[in-house]
Amino acid sequence: MGLLTILKKMKQKEKEVRILMLGLDNAGKTTILKKFIGDDINTISPTLGFNIKTVEHRGFKLNIWDVGGQKSLRSYWRNYFESTDGLVWVVDGADKRRLADCVQELHKLLVEERLAGATLLVFANKQDLPGALSAVEIKEVLDLESIKTHHWSILPCSAVTGQNLLEGIDWMLDDISSRIFTLD
Amino acid sequence: MASSSKTMSGSSNKKKSGLLSRTKRKGKDSKDSSKNYITEEELLQKKHISPEDVLRLIAPTDNYLCDVEDNIYGIDFTRFRIRDLDTENVLFEISKPSPDEMSEMSAVLDTSDPNAGRFVRYQFTPMFLKLRTVGATVEFVVGDKPVESFRMIERHYFRDQLLKSFDFDFGFCIPNSTNTCEHIYEFPQLSKESITTMIESPFDTKSDSFYFVNGKLVMHNKADYAYNATNQ
Repeated sequence: MGLLTILKKMKQKEKEVRILMLGLDNAGKTTILKKFIGDDINTISPTLGFNIKTVEHRGFKLNIWDVGGQKSLRSYWRNYFESTDGLVWVVDGADKRRLADCVQELHKLLVEERLAGATLLVFANKQDLPGALSAVEIKEVLDLESIKTHHWSILPCSAVTGQNLLEGIDWMLDDISSRIFTLD
Repeated sequence: MASSSKTMSGSSNKKKSGLLSRTKRKGKDSKDSSKNYITEEELLQKKHISPEDVLRLIAPTDNYLCDVEDNIYGIDFTRFRIRDLDTENVLFEISKPSPDEMSEMSAVLDTSDPNAGRFVRYQFTPMFLKLRTVGATVEFVVGDKPVESFRMIERHYFRDQLLKSFDFDFGFCIPNSTNTCEHIYEFPQLSKESITTMIESPFDTKSDSFYFVNGKLVMHNKADYAYNATNQ
């Protein structure tokens, strides 16, 4: 086996990317996941555990984990931090009442040591609903500008129409690969 | 039970199984396993069976390598689905009846065979071997204890040839949770000869699904496959 083959094999192995998708319950995590993968979004019930999808995309093997966001489940989130390359934080732009909760939970995650290396993508979801807060407004509320520990970006999106889902994941992959897959 | 399949039919008494698949890495898999293989007989002597053990098997097993009672975590497969990503059609879907439906059914189920829930026979049409992109979903529930480390290894064989060894680490499972996992993968194009042989040899394609908690085998399911079914 030549050196090039060995390098290629290492690269293959390295190209596995683990994405963890979190957010409050009813933020739309499962709908985003299903829409992204081209699955039926008409029958979605609250996630009482996790949903995983593994798919090849742009030469990466993506393992996307969507873990339930109900209050009783949040203490289990830490069990899924290990080896996470990208954290997707999903915000229900139409749920203004729980924004304070949302801010608090996100900032708890940002100090987690096991998420320290992860790229952060915030989805300002439910842009298809009238009155949903814009990405700019959510950026303010979440105080994203203060984040110095993670590469981050925020995008307005709609899990129902699919708006910006692919763009968001692609931005995240670009950021992760520029950090990790230096052989490319 | 729901089935929207035009091209396939499945056993109605199944819990979980895999599906035939082949990967680009099959050469690597068979090479690795032939280097340092282990037999079913050797494994049956062991008190606990590890992931590394079953990865060294080179043929489908004749027996189940653990008892039904070894699953002390209440892990139960409740749904299985295969879809064709190119057409977005669901090709096969089966759900375990809810507890209510189960009690009605228990009278007609043959409960004398303790292995009844761990084996399934699939009868697919030849078209199945020509799919390109496939999504396979499983749904499973976990009992009231947390499961620290859950891992599945699925070995697919045609006769004694390893087609694919599929290994996925679920990690932690929340107590009383319902979880799903969909693997989307490419079917490489099979040669005409391979397709013909597989179609002409019903049930010579077999799979073993092994499930581990904290590195110990706790569940073992089996399936076999035919590809000569006719459209219904």
